[in-house]
Amino acid sequence: MSAPATPRVVAVLDGTCVGVDRRARALAGFLRDGLRIGKDAGAAAEAVTLAFYADSGARDSLVELAPTRDVRLIRAPEFRPDLMSGALTAFEAGGGAELFVFPGGPLGAELAARLAVRSAGSALTDVQGAAAGPAGLVCRRAVYSNHLTGRFELRARPWCITLDAGWYDARIEPASEHSVRADVELSAEESSAAAALRHVELLEPPETGDLEAAKFLIVAGRGAGSRGGVERIAAAAARMGAAFGVTRPVAMNAWAPAGRQIGVSGTRAAPVVCLVAGASGAPAFLWGVERAGFIAAVDTDEHAAIVHEADAAVVDDAVAVVEALADIVARERQS
Amino acid sequence: MSLSREAIVEGLRRIVGPDAVVTDERVLVESSVDNFRKLQNIFDVHTMPVPAAVALPGDAAQVAELLRFASDNGVAVIPRTGGTATEGGLESAVPDSVIIDGSMMNKIISVDPYNMQATCQCGVPLQALEDRVREHGLTTGHSPQSKPVAHMGGLVATRSIGQFSTLYGGIEDMVVGLEAVFPGGEIARIKNVPRRAAGPDIRHVVIGNEGALCFISEVTVKLFPYFPENNTFLGWTLKDMATGFAVLREVMVNGYKPSVARVYDPGDAGLHFSHFAAEDDCVLLFMAEGAAGIAKATADGIQAIVDKHPECTQVPSEYIETWFNDLCWDASKITAEDERIRQTRNVNRTTEISADWGSINDIYQTAKARIIAEIPDVTMMGGHSSHSYINGTNMYFNYFFNVVGVGPEEETEKYYLPIIGIICEETLRRGGSIVHHHGMGKARAPWVKDEYGSSYYILETLKKSFDPDGIMNPGTIIPL
Amino acid sequence: MDQLRIVVGFKVTPDYEALRPADWARAGDDAADGPEASPGGRPGGPETRFVRRILGVFDEAALELALRLRDARAERGLQTSLAAFSVAGRVADSFLKTLLALGYERAARVEAGAALDFAPGATAALVAGGAQRLGGDVLLLGSRCGPGDSGVVPFLVAEALGRPCLTQVTEIAPADRGRLRVTFTADAGPVRAIVSTPCVLAVGNAVVSMLRVPTLKDRLATREQPVVAFSAADLGVDVTEELDREPAALVGLETIDRGRAGVIVGGATPADKARALYETHLRARLERL
Repeated sequence: MSAPATPRVVAVLDGTCVGVDRRARALAGFLRDGLRIGKDAGAAAEAVTLAFYADSGARDSLVELAPTRDVRLIRAPEFRPDLMSGALTAFEAGGGAELFVFPGGPLGAELAARLAVRSAGSALTDVQGAAAGPAGLVCRRAVYSNHLTGRFELRARPWCITLDAGWYDARIEPASEHSVRADVELSAEESSAAAALRHVELLEPPETGDLEAAKFLIVAGRGAGSRGGVERIAAAAARMGAAFGVTRPVAMNAWAPAGRQIGVSGTRAAPVVCLVAGASGAPAFLWGVERAGFIAAVDTDEHAAIVHEADAAVVDDAVAVVEALADIVARERQS
Repeated sequence: MSLSREAIVEGLRRIVGPDAVVTDERVLVESSVDNFRKLQNIFDVHTMPVPAAVALPGDAAQVAELLRFASDNGVAVIPRTGGTATEGGLESAVPDSVIIDGSMMNKIISVDPYNMQATCQCGVPLQALEDRVREHGLTTGHSPQSKPVAHMGGLVATRSIGQFSTLYGGIEDMVVGLEAVFPGGEIARIKNVPRRAAGPDIRHVVIGNEGALCFISEVTVKLFPYFPENNTFLGWTLKDMATGFAVLREVMVNGYKPSVARVYDPGDAGLHFSHFAAEDDCVLLFMAEGAAGIAKATADGIQAIVDKHPECTQVPSEYIETWFNDLCWDASKITAEDERIRQTRNVNRTTEISADWGSINDIYQTAKARIIAEIPDVTMMGGHSSHSYINGTNMYFNYFFNVVGVGPEEETEKYYLPIIGIICEETLRRGGSIVHHHGMGKARAPWVKDEYGSSYYILETLKKSFDPDGIMNPGTIIPL
Repeated sequence: MDQLRIVVGFKVTPDYEALRPADWARAGDDAADGPEASPGGRPGGPETRFVRRILGVFDEAALELALRLRDARAERGLQTSLAAFSVAGRVADSFLKTLLALGYERAARVEAGAALDFAPGATAALVAGGAQRLGGDVLLLGSRCGPGDSGVVPFLVAEALGRPCLTQVTEIAPADRGRLRVTFTADAGPVRAIVSTPCVLAVGNAVVSMLRVPTLKDRLATREQPVVAFSAADLGVDVTEELDREPAALVGLETIDRGRAGVIVGGATPADKARALYETHLRARLERL
């Protein structure tokens, strides 16, 4: 059985709307770490970026962001997935491309799905990893509402996949030189699909609270002992550059403002690092932090539920330990 | 004679310290209601009098001082721990009440496996106590749906009952001794003995008093061995509630003690069992537990009884087991329900009563028919029996209605109280009790004299003797 | 053209959230007592026979949005007809009857005669067939649903029908001349646009996400109204062929280990413990932020 042929990979980058950096980094991360051919990751020798742009002023920066050396540019108006689909279909019909990779998001899903139908290929969204094998491309993605991981075999080429948003992120290595071909100008001519969308307005995105967005979060529970104890933990959090939240009992005792509440009655956070100090770990609260990457707990009660729900736990007084930790972290931050 | 809010707050601060007195507006408004008027919190529309403060005593001595202060100054007091009450027991009926919140008194004092008893303060969550005794291979046997959030003080104050009561009994069967604080500042400790005949059983003055007589500061409960590996589930579908009640009766009269014994009518079954029950099916289910021999004999005995009823069709036990494992109030379920109410204005309410075997089906049929005919905007009307005795059972009416044409604060007047009225009327007419386990609260207090008849004299005398100044949770059990 | 015809395609799914961690732990191929693969080699997945069925969360939103759109158009004196269908067996009937009680004029199920999990191609063929049979200017769908959560079915349907498709739709309101003002979440963020028909709208995290509840009287009034059943053959779809053609096949399922270790960090004093916690567990993680 011969080694699988290196597939010609096309990374599709939409530069017509904001967020290009993030999308380019996802593509770069996947090409470097997520795609295996034979035993090697990142061995996609023949890869090209197909980049769409709307504004000629954005061309150069778009090229800089491209995750591959070869870049094809296509000028397209904003909010015209129909024109982009047409361009991709024509490109595919030209032959040679086996794998189309799109970043995560609604546009990628639309382009991948429609391209797969028009080219009699396969589509799969939210891919977390892909390996080219004898039967086709084997991909992994979350299924059953992220309770399990599914392995899928994509049999018909071209393989049209979108990436799981947030799974891949890599710094773009600035290429010494990009090989650029500026191809097509897609005009905003009237087609039946174009007539479908009019008066398009970009709206203000909703405010994400600091608790929801926080990467490092410290939560104080009733084990802080008093309003003063809660305030000391809050001050320690600030010194560590962490966001500060509280459990419901603390809010109901008015030891902290209600807006700081974490849990079902408050905010659901998803920090990378979460420190829970003086909270026993009631289910209503745990739901608010269970998505955290790493949970450390401090509680005087080694039987408290939080100890079993944390990655690491310290059995001691919440205020004392958090303040000691703040001394250490603040010193490290300065150096 | 009555103090200003500021003076009340000052008095409380002097007793428990400023850190233990909450006067935050948001907290006080939310504390003005319990689940009886939950729509007020869900829709943020508040009409009940706002308490003056929430005080959080650290021990029974502080509770005593607080109650003496309240008695001396005519301040109404509402004892509270977990806050999961459903009948208005915790809502403020008069302005400037003080909520005495026992949740800081949250120590598990002792777990005694040899004497099969555990003692804890009133603010201990039942789930915490249960988790602790499980470490010894034991269980409290008490499992109301509110288990994850309710505290021991409130569970005793309301004569609560749990899902496994048919085996373990209600809270009144589980309490050994307790400590309670009375309005004059007396701290009364009832010691822990297995049984005694040294006069009337005074524990029953405290158990179920709903904060109308005293503040429960500490409880001791029995412990039971825990054999989850022997849990056995049984379930059937059938067409007729009368048959369901008849089967429950046979099981009880023959001396079996399954931990769970229930029959659901089609409306209520549709909420839980639509994946195996047809639209017009009732569902009959049991759980047997305990030592291996007991669990097996119980399950076999029930199987033999139901086998004599060909109109019952057995279902695989996995259906019952899966349903059962998902039963308790879960944090995210509560939030999801609140959001559903906010969006759809469709509200779920319950009213549960008890009666003897001869009356229960009649009460169920008549009340259900009247509600469907007389109350507007009803979207579901049903119920289930879940606590059976040798001499009768309960009926847990479960119903939904859309709130139409009125604000959320008028929901109780337009829908909930009229429905409660119909259920209470039909129950009293046939000699049943208007409340099986949720407590009278303030919601059913208007029916207290009908409920008690001539024995009201005993209740009234208790209230006058223990709470001469009328400061203990006014409006609860006995209306204002 | 005053009347707008709306068709909503919805999915009925097991309530996966009622399953417990132990059920998921047993559901992967790598589990000790995992499920047996089906004869075709397809992985078994979790046992869902014993949990209730619910509407997909985005499907439910789509059904309610359609009702609210009708209400909003009625306020402007405009007529709207509503039809709903599901590619499902009798399990969908209770939901279809509820929809009739809520004022949907037609409710139908499309019987595939085969399991369609992880088969978006076959699913889309049946959805497109059902939509065409019921005839609508606007087809509303949920943007994604388990077990596959692929999110591609709306686009595959749109390709088959030759229509534009917007996904992650969060609001729909009437606009002029029979058009709709649609708010959706694009890559750039929330967008609002005027949309002409025919179109496919796939609903995402809408603020309005829960279906209103019919009264017992509403149900009584529509009791005699039938739920229509179509077979795949009625719609000209060969399900076996579609399944054979399915280009992406599920070949394995793995469990995801989310357990937390619960390691106790020791030390003589709070400061010692804080130091140990930092060095062993926090330093590297905080540096990476």
